[in-house]
Amino acid sequence: MALSKIIAVHSYKGGTGKTLLSINLAANFVTHGKKVCLLDLDFRAPSLSTILKIEKAECWLNDYLNGTCGIDKVLVNISDRIQNKGKLFVGLANPATEAIRDMSAKDRKWEMRALGRLLALRNSLLNDKSFDYLIFDTSPGLQYSSINAIVSADLVIVATTLDRSDVDGTRRMLRELYDLFEKKTDIILNKVLFDVSSRLGREELQNKMKDIYRVPLLGIIPCFCDVLRAEGGIIFAQERPEHPFTKILDDIVSKIDNNMA
Amino acid sequence: MHTCKTLRGTIVAKQEVLGKKPLQILEKIRENLEKLNEKMEVMIELQKHGRKDVQPLPETPLDVMTLLSMPDHLRKTAMTLCRLGRATAEEIAQQTHRARAVESAYLNQLVIMGYLKKERKGRKAYFYVDRENHG
Repeated sequence: MALSKIIAVHSYKGGTGKTLLSINLAANFVTHGKKVCLLDLDFRAPSLSTILKIEKAECWLNDYLNGTCGIDKVLVNISDRIQNKGKLFVGLANPATEAIRDMSAKDRKWEMRALGRLLALRNSLLNDKSFDYLIFDTSPGLQYSSINAIVSADLVIVATTLDRSDVDGTRRMLRELYDLFEKKTDIILNKVLFDVSSRLGREELQNKMKDIYRVPLLGIIPCFCDVLRAEGGIIFAQERPEHPFTKILDDIVSKIDNNMA
Repeated sequence: MHTCKTLRGTIVAKQEVLGKKPLQILEKIRENLEKLNEKMEVMIELQKHGRKDVQPLPETPLDVMTLLSMPDHLRKTAMTLCRLGRATAEEIAQQTHRARAVESAYLNQLVIMGYLKKERKGRKAYFYVDRENHG
């Protein structure tokens, strides 16, 4: 089976933890010695620049998709923030209101070209610049930019919660979006409120999820107050390597890296 | 045996006398047959899906929403071409594990629908999504 080198993190609803998962998955890969590129494709609500406290990039991902600059000028090397031999680069979405407005008014022809430029990243970043993984953080729901990211990816990780409307929507997207594009799709169940520390409780939840979604469950993440308390201001997996949240992500990253995702 | 040798000798001799012309003629006939075959495949495909008009539609962007709304059999072909960028029916068939003739028919149908462009180079036909010069 082909390796999952390009990973799109997506969800039906907002607030399921896509960005948190994207950053921490990327950081975790880096601590495993990988060269990773994290791209913020959530052009409607960009957040990586704030979370990673990067004020200004030479170019934004918006410019790359507009065809006005190369991907080299977009990527910011933040490897010094992770204490390991791996490398972490990020590409940011422009958070300016005008840029958000501009991106939401693009037409079908532009979206088609943007898809071409996203597909070209496989060659320019994976083959030419020898990145091990590209991680796309996307907008929730059926947005052009998200579907472009999904089409370009090898693996779609769907962040979902136990919220009823989220469960319903996610189930629909599995059948009517990812399946149609024949994408390898895995679920991460996030913000779980009840105790899954016991083997029995975990297995019960795993079986329930399998019945509902019928795709592999990559991980179950309880709702950690410590993560919420950090207010998205740190790379959690880096600052708290011994925290259970980081341990769960370690396990998820190992599954992806060993092609078991 | 003797007769066979003589016959082969005569054919070779005749080819030498006429130069390369017979070969070129045969080559041309084969090219034309291939073109005819492709057109027939498209017609068969269109008949199958209940479309009788073979008029090419105006250029239409092959964006993800269009891909989503396509019938499954065409989406598979279109998606594979999106990934490869530019390919022959043979190359697409290797990826989709369907017959070359089937892919050829689907690709030509996508050309007629205005989503793809087709370019001939020698005996090979290349299909591609014209993203940069579209519209």
